[in-house]
Amino acid sequence: MAIVVDGLTKHFRVHRRRSGLGASLRGLIRREHVEVRAVEDVTFAIAEGEMVGFLGPNGAGKTTTLKCLTGLLQPTAGLVRVFGHTPHDRDPDFLRQMSLVMGQRNSLFWDLPAMDAFEVNRVIYRIPAGAFSTALDELIALLDLEPLLTKQVRVLSLGERMRCELAGALLHTPRVLFLDEPTLGLDVTAQAAVRAFLRDYNDRHGATVLLTSHYMGDVTALASRVLVIDRGVLRFDGELAALTRAHATHRIIRVRLREPLPATAAAPYGEVVAIDGPVVSLRVPRDETAAVAAQLLAALPVEDVAIEETDIEDVIRAVFSGA
Amino acid sequence: MRELIKTYLGLVRSSALVALAYRGRVVIWFLTGFFPLLLMAVWLTVVAGNGPPRGWTVGNFVAYYVAAAVLWHLSGQHVVWDWDEDMRSGDMSVRLLRPVHPFHQYAANDLGYRAVSLAMLLPVLTLAAFLVPGVDYGLTLPRATAVAAAVLLAYVLSLLMASTFALVGFWSTQSTNLWMLWWGVGSFASGWIAPLELMPEWLRTAALVLPFRATMGFPIELLMGRLNGSQVAWGFATGLAWIGVFTGTYRAGWRNGVGRYQAVAG
Repeated sequence: MAIVVDGLTKHFRVHRRRSGLGASLRGLIRREHVEVRAVEDVTFAIAEGEMVGFLGPNGAGKTTTLKCLTGLLQPTAGLVRVFGHTPHDRDPDFLRQMSLVMGQRNSLFWDLPAMDAFEVNRVIYRIPAGAFSTALDELIALLDLEPLLTKQVRVLSLGERMRCELAGALLHTPRVLFLDEPTLGLDVTAQAAVRAFLRDYNDRHGATVLLTSHYMGDVTALASRVLVIDRGVLRFDGELAALTRAHATHRIIRVRLREPLPATAAAPYGEVVAIDGPVVSLRVPRDETAAVAAQLLAALPVEDVAIEETDIEDVIRAVFSGA
Repeated sequence: MRELIKTYLGLVRSSALVALAYRGRVVIWFLTGFFPLLLMAVWLTVVAGNGPPRGWTVGNFVAYYVAAAVLWHLSGQHVVWDWDEDMRSGDMSVRLLRPVHPFHQYAANDLGYRAVSLAMLLPVLTLAAFLVPGVDYGLTLPRATAVAAAVLLAYVLSLLMASTFALVGFWSTQSTNLWMLWWGVGSFASGWIAPLELMPEWLRTAALVLPFRATMGFPIELLMGRLNGSQVAWGFATGLAWIGVFTGTYRAGWRNGVGRYQAVAG
């Protein structure tokens, strides 16, 4: 296994500061601390070359888990191994095998062109000249970096900077890649480019990838397996399709009618979620789907019918709401 | 070791490039490099009014503060501020993820900045030392070698001191305040405020065993030929001893502190 996590627990002791002058003065005499239980007894394993999505609402424990996996944080309890290394030992051999890309963090030099940061990475990751040249050429081609290399990082757009960040993070061809919101703030085109690149990188190098994202599109495009975490506890570990089956209590029946009908005509068969001319979308209980489809075909002038799973975002909402 | 030197060269290069990115900033650094000469001006005013203290001429004061301007640049204290900023902004995480110890990253970063500022400052100060009447260091090759070693020792010690205080950031967000307290005490005992020979007896005695003199007063006094053989040996010995103390303290602090890192701000 590339990554083994067993009973990972991370608690933080944080200073609680109340607002107001009185509270500030009292804080000079006596400090109040609270314990934040960020991650509780999380266990999973990821095979080499696997791409796994890590889902959860804000504050669920995703980033804390990633930080434990990269060695930034030392677990309060539990075991973490990445390619046999204990991450928080910060063994340089381990650090040369992995990369963490944080969508909101800049690891390039703000005032210099990205190429200068790549040169620094060549030195600190001890990349041989030939391997550096090959990797750089590949990344320039895949991420369309040529026009960006000589511009100062601070003048790049968010999408351009993220492409440079990815290149910088991958120059040493890491075996394991941790991605924390890699498409945060990017427009749709840039998101698609980053997803395509990550998929390609995984295919070419067999890298293990653990990805957190608020955009379900990232997860559905890249990962067939997902981990779902909420309030520090792992709620689900399995195939994305299984998550849908387990938590999608309804399906969508989309029928194209020969002529538009009022919503009241379709309402007896299910919850009408959309009407677009002659196309009506109905939300029906999963186990009644077949029967309702048959009733629609018999009762209405149906030209075409399609049965679809509910949107994955709805499924995730259902998981987090405990439905 | 070879790999570490290569790493340093790469990091120093990038740091120097960053330093050169803004012309205005370069000019300001150049000007602040002359701040120690303000202290010199104060002393020269005192000397003009009351006559020079025993054993000191106007030329001695100029020679002292020209050298102090160089040593001031090699104080290494920027590490504390850089570290503090990185802890607050979350950029420390970026440094911790690199397969190079953050100590080396900050040291190389500081070296790059020093290289740029000294490249501008040194020629001007050297020229001034030649042109101002009464300034004569009377350097011989053996003494010049000893001065070079003392300057290196001063830089390494001040870098280690600053780095050790920077580690306080793992326990408290007030590492710069603690450093300022330490630096404030040190500015009297290092020879920064005034040459130690002009300080009260008790401070001169204390300065002989404290770490601060090795970072400024000792290399300058050595450069000016004001130390005998045993005083030179004592200066090197105390400097090296303090390097040992701070190396040990830094290592212990790092081992205990890095586990407390909370990776805030993303």
